[in-house]
Amino acid sequence: MLSYILDRLKSSIVVLFVVSVITFFVLMIIPGNPAQLILGTDATPEAIQELHAAMGLDRPLYQQYLSWLLDLFTLDMGSSYVYGESVTALIARSIPVTFSISIFAMVMAVFIAFLFGIISAIKKNSIADYFSRSIMQLGAAIPSFWIGMVFIVYFGIKLRILPVSGFVPIEQSFAGFIKSILLPSVVLAIGEVGTLLRIIRSSMLDSLKQDYMDMARVKGLSTGKTYIKYALRGALTAPLTIIGMQFAKLAGGTVVVETIFALPGLGRMVLTAVEHRDIVLLQGLVMFITSTVIIITLIVDISVMYLNPRIKSFQQGEL
Amino acid sequence: MNETVVLKDLQINAGDNILVNKTSIVIEEGEIFGLVGESGSGKTLTAKAIINLLPKGLSYSADEIITAGKNMLTASAEEKKEHIGKNIGYIPQNTVFYLHPMIKIKNQIGDGYVYHMHKTKKEALEKAEALLYKVGFKYPKIVLNYYPWQLSGGMRQRCNIAMALMNDPKLIIADEPTTALDSTVQRQVMDLFRTINEEMKLSILLISHNLGLVKHYSHSLAVMYAGQIVESGYTNTVFSNPKHPYTRLLIEIIPSFKIKKDERLAEIPGLAAENGRDIKGCVFFKRCPKAMDICKEMVAEHIDDKHDHYYRCNLK
Repeated sequence: MLSYILDRLKSSIVVLFVVSVITFFVLMIIPGNPAQLILGTDATPEAIQELHAAMGLDRPLYQQYLSWLLDLFTLDMGSSYVYGESVTALIARSIPVTFSISIFAMVMAVFIAFLFGIISAIKKNSIADYFSRSIMQLGAAIPSFWIGMVFIVYFGIKLRILPVSGFVPIEQSFAGFIKSILLPSVVLAIGEVGTLLRIIRSSMLDSLKQDYMDMARVKGLSTGKTYIKYALRGALTAPLTIIGMQFAKLAGGTVVVETIFALPGLGRMVLTAVEHRDIVLLQGLVMFITSTVIIITLIVDISVMYLNPRIKSFQQGEL
Repeated sequence: MNETVVLKDLQINAGDNILVNKTSIVIEEGEIFGLVGESGSGKTLTAKAIINLLPKGLSYSADEIITAGKNMLTASAEEKKEHIGKNIGYIPQNTVFYLHPMIKIKNQIGDGYVYHMHKTKKEALEKAEALLYKVGFKYPKIVLNYYPWQLSGGMRQRCNIAMALMNDPKLIIADEPTTALDSTVQRQVMDLFRTINEEMKLSILLISHNLGLVKHYSHSLAVMYAGQIVESGYTNTVFSNPKHPYTRLLIEIIPSFKIKKDERLAEIPGLAAENGRDIKGCVFFKRCPKAMDICKEMVAEHIDDKHDHYYRCNLK
């Protein structure tokens, strides 16, 4: 188990290194002079030249890369041109926004998807099954910007019970925090629930057909034991992987939803950085998002291994 | 004598297609009853009808199904579940996925015992340990901590046998329990069945396509063909005086060591019918070497006076 985790960590470091090289060089060779962008079109060529040198942009690329990489180890990712603040501080500030709506959305999606996925697999072709299948269709078909707008109009403007935009930090007011993340989370959850429900339903259907279900039935166990201990246990691997992928996707920033609800999250920041060619900020964000995805994937893989120990033996060469 | 299973005139349908027809079985208390037939002859379905495990989509009807003293035709679904869980042990064909691959043996072997007998998990594990020892594991504690896929096929089958014995059942249904096992292990498993049968006085329904095996281990047997029982009776009687041409052919083709080099194994030409199992005549008509014209129209049932030999054939 430990050796597997260490192995995965080693390969994660390689991935991060490759990502850092690609991010740095691709962004650096994009045309456009950051010094020019900062100073504007009215600046004299001398002033631009001076700033260019001050920012270290006249050094060879590999030198710039190495100093950037070394700074990365101390969590110093430079400072943003647009915000004039350190990238680390900016990311740290938007993490609570993006992570709280992502976590909240995933909790809702997971709960609903498991509830209806399990019921619709057990009671195939029942009313509950048709209902679940409509959830799948709707979740896949409704664009999040549209449902977000509908929510804003209905809950924010017509009923006036929820704020239409902005983020309230949890330490400021708990009720305010919940209210501010509720609508965006629901919108995100609607986007994810369909896929997850589909996977849970089909894994459950598959598990219900397995021979061990015959055994559980012949043992005459209670319905709960039969379906949860035997059927669901055999059906967890695929949904868990999907949950990890979905969460990793959301945690990397949700541009559309953050924009609609004017939330200062990671997705908005990526957008701003791209719009303003804030290369330093963009490099920092890409590195951060990549690390997040790698960590989440690692956690998911370890949980899957725990659930399905055959994978562990396979890794260790027992099988 | 008391009967553990009484099955009268069972018919199983998949839509309009009849899979099992006019099947009656009586299993006496404490006997090993062999149910023999080719693949697709309806052996497993018949057994599953006894323990209420028929797949969805199949319907069945019968004049009488009494399993371990309870009438299955009048019992409610909940009663059936409870009764079968308590009194029947099921040993399936291939054990790879009959034991849940993601649950350790100790967490699945005793759950029926805990549920039906109202015992603690600790008591269940103690009993499981004793039973695993009985089925031939020297270190049952270690086996309990394994996942099923860490055991060999023979070990898994013995775990299944131990699991089936947990509730001290009245009947064990063993559905081709030795398929996928090599012949040494096959022998061990079968001897184990015999020991269990003798020591615990429980009935065993042994489903097999291996007539040699059934001859060796069962007290009574029934031969199934195309969804019908064509001959049944005490094993000795049937083997010393087989009446139905199908049984005779089956007995003739049991492989023996007398076979010469390059000699082909004997076979019965043709295949069992998939459809038309409800015809008035004999289901074996097309493959029967002694078929007569009358066999198309009707088939006679013979039961001798002592009720220990039954067959469906127009031959005397």
